[in-house]
Amino acid sequence: MAGILGILAFDDVWNVSRFLYYGLIGLQHRGYSRSGIAILNKQRNIFTKLENVAPEDLEIKDLNGWAGIGYAGIRNSYPMTVDNGAIVVDGIIDDTNILNQVIKEPEKIIDEIKKPISFIAISKEGQLIAYRDELGLKPLSIGGFGFDLAVISSEPTSMLVIGAEFKREINPGELVIVDKYHIESKQIRMPRKSYCTIEYVYQARIDSMVNEKDIYDLRVKIGEELALEYPIKADSVIGVPETALPFAIGYSRKLNIPLDLGFTRTGSPIRTMLSSDAFLKVVGVQLKLNPIKSAVKGKRIILIDDSMVTGTTLKNTIFNLRKLGAKELHVLIGSPKLISQCPYGVEVPEEKELISANLDDEKIARVLGADSIHWLSLEGLFRVIGHRNLCLGCMTKKYPW
Amino acid sequence: MKVLLVGDGARENVLAHSLEKSTKGYKVYALSTYINPGINSVVKTTGGEYFIGNINSPEIVKEVIKKVNPDFGVVGPEDPLFRGIADVFRQEGIPVFGANKKCARIEESKAWARELMWKYSIPGRLRYKVFYTIEHAAKFILEYGGSVAVKPAGQAGGKGVKVIADLEAYLTQDKREALTKSVNDIGSLYNKEGEPRIIIEEKVDGPEYTLHVLTDGKTTIPLPLAQDYKNAYQDGIGPETGGMGSISGPTELLPFINSEEYQTTYDIVKRTIDAIYKETGENYVGVIAGQMMLTELWGPTVIEYYSRLGDPEASAIIPRIESDFGEIIEFTATGHLSKARIKLNDQPSIVKAIATLGYPISKQMASGRKIVLDLDKMKEHGCMVFFGSVALEGMQLITKGSRALEIVAIGDFREASENLDKCIQYVNSDTKLIYRTDIGRTVEYQIEKAEIIRYSYKNREKRGILGVSADWSPNGGLW
Repeated sequence: MAGILGILAFDDVWNVSRFLYYGLIGLQHRGYSRSGIAILNKQRNIFTKLENVAPEDLEIKDLNGWAGIGYAGIRNSYPMTVDNGAIVVDGIIDDTNILNQVIKEPEKIIDEIKKPISFIAISKEGQLIAYRDELGLKPLSIGGFGFDLAVISSEPTSMLVIGAEFKREINPGELVIVDKYHIESKQIRMPRKSYCTIEYVYQARIDSMVNEKDIYDLRVKIGEELALEYPIKADSVIGVPETALPFAIGYSRKLNIPLDLGFTRTGSPIRTMLSSDAFLKVVGVQLKLNPIKSAVKGKRIILIDDSMVTGTTLKNTIFNLRKLGAKELHVLIGSPKLISQCPYGVEVPEEKELISANLDDEKIARVLGADSIHWLSLEGLFRVIGHRNLCLGCMTKKYPW
Repeated sequence: MKVLLVGDGARENVLAHSLEKSTKGYKVYALSTYINPGINSVVKTTGGEYFIGNINSPEIVKEVIKKVNPDFGVVGPEDPLFRGIADVFRQEGIPVFGANKKCARIEESKAWARELMWKYSIPGRLRYKVFYTIEHAAKFILEYGGSVAVKPAGQAGGKGVKVIADLEAYLTQDKREALTKSVNDIGSLYNKEGEPRIIIEEKVDGPEYTLHVLTDGKTTIPLPLAQDYKNAYQDGIGPETGGMGSISGPTELLPFINSEEYQTTYDIVKRTIDAIYKETGENYVGVIAGQMMLTELWGPTVIEYYSRLGDPEASAIIPRIESDFGEIIEFTATGHLSKARIKLNDQPSIVKAIATLGYPISKQMASGRKIVLDLDKMKEHGCMVFFGSVALEGMQLITKGSRALEIVAIGDFREASENLDKCIQYVNSDTKLIYRTDIGRTVEYQIEKAEIIRYSYKNREKRGILGVSADWSPNGGLW
């Protein structure tokens, strides 16, 4: 998974480099270990900067131009230079050479890439070319800033950051081309909506709208759904910051159990799930989330998290909460069990690393040291989202592509 | 009765059409800079005559008046009004639908309009500053705080407005730098000896709408509201235009403007007409419009005034009027507006403007292109077609660089936009066509936006602080 961004000014008095920079910070929850910007200047040259750093650490002082693209991700080196331009991709492509033709013949390339990807390219001629995969697995939206800028981005969050207005999501299978003189959109492939469930439960930011849903509302509803499925007698509900907080709010409201802020943060809000190194992951969580004693001491606690991969981080969290005097600890997960990897680039590891693919609930509870553990049911998820046009590959092993 | 119509765009095509439809059997004569195919057809059917010449030249207009000897005149666009073309009619003793030069100043000079609003305490006014030099304007932009709109101090064909919301401190510098660079362009758009060149005013946000008011100097009649879509490209993205489309209705309102706001807006425009009289000593005859925005600062807020019918708003409004609009034009011109009644088709309408590639950034690129259309098929799909910046040259339609066509459909918003989509298929060109796919399709979003704004301005009203605002910055201080 990655955050991709494109900005074009209709008037070249604009220098959009800082807009790209801040826009990427608004996307770095989608990947922060590699980032880059490619920018087109008045002389029709493209300058590219990419580094193994988070977008906020990208040095952009020398970048100056009226249009450009940006990337925040984990594995790949984007923006990639292609014939007559540069490109950023969200998704996995086996042979990136194919992207060399994207600017000349976008439709042909889309036909040849047999993978669900979204991309944004910039040409030396001053065109932004953006495409969203026909399943809608990778999100993509379009917005504008007054009479001056067009913005295309994985999520509206980057538009909010730069003061632009989110206009709409790009349809699955839709190609959008923006230049100074027009915006053209073309439905290249019929949408076969199969939205990524992880976007809903974990990936997208809570101030986002993705896959036709306001993420915050949806996650509060998941919390309420958990309350219906697993009403547990307890003294306090605690959500693991930050992604699980809306679930906890929904659960607390539904059952009238007070919500507590059980943790405070140390360091920057990097996302533990995105870290590839297991050691760093533990350090990340323990450093990041410090439990608060007076919020848990002597209480029966419902601890809600958005997902569980190996269980290591949750085990540590529970250990720490017990140490501070939690009487009971019931774990609820705001998504169905993860049992299989994602071939489309979402950071769900392979089956042997996934605790819920290998152990039953009783054993998991024992590993975690929890009194009980429950997952949101698939049916519950469908009820909350309101449709079944979802990719549930990591939860069911059935993949849409 | 003979009518002489001055102008050449889609708005004048709509006006000509109403005169043609009237039961009064008007003979329509017209003066345009090129042969507008729509006006041409009306002139032919009604037995008038088409004159080609400079519509801004008092001498030429006087000549044509002498030739035609019309019973009344209609001046469509703003430029002839600014040049005193309506005055020429009156000097010749011919009643005319169109504001005198002095009255049209409400549109020609944005600085004068704002001064008037402050002098007469007309509600819905914004804080502003005028600048005589580009350097001073640029300095102000760099030094002062707050979100600003930078505009040419006078009417410049809807061009040159830069609006900067400065809510993200980390981007302030970049936004202000871009603005400072554009000040040169903005300053070059209105350059009259002894007058300010640039206006900077506080930036507000909200759904926009326009209220047109007919007046014969004694009676006023408000027309139904319309909204125009300013951004050039689909989904409200892209450079500013004169308007790529518009909607009107249902009823006299819009889905996001309530009747109380309509009334407040009407009051604002009426007070403006009074203020113009007090300042100039002249009665306003014709149409005056408030181009409004619903803002948290005031509720109904004036962005600009028009001294004529808006284009493409006219194409959305007039086709919905079921009473004899041709006659209403005559009543306005001749001082009998009290006899007029507006009967409205309550169903909404949608207008889409179509231009050729290049508009609005490069007039040259958008000019001289061929357009072909199947009028009969478009009518079959329930659309009306008005011709704008496109001339009949020989047997061909050749674009003149601005919006070439306006097509109109009446019906609920969904149905009307679907009809328009079908009609657009019958328009072809030797270049790409530029039009918006979202017009009439974002009403829900605007209802929500208006609702949010309503909380704030109602709250201000209660606290007695409507219109009270200020900005402060360490460098510039308070303004």
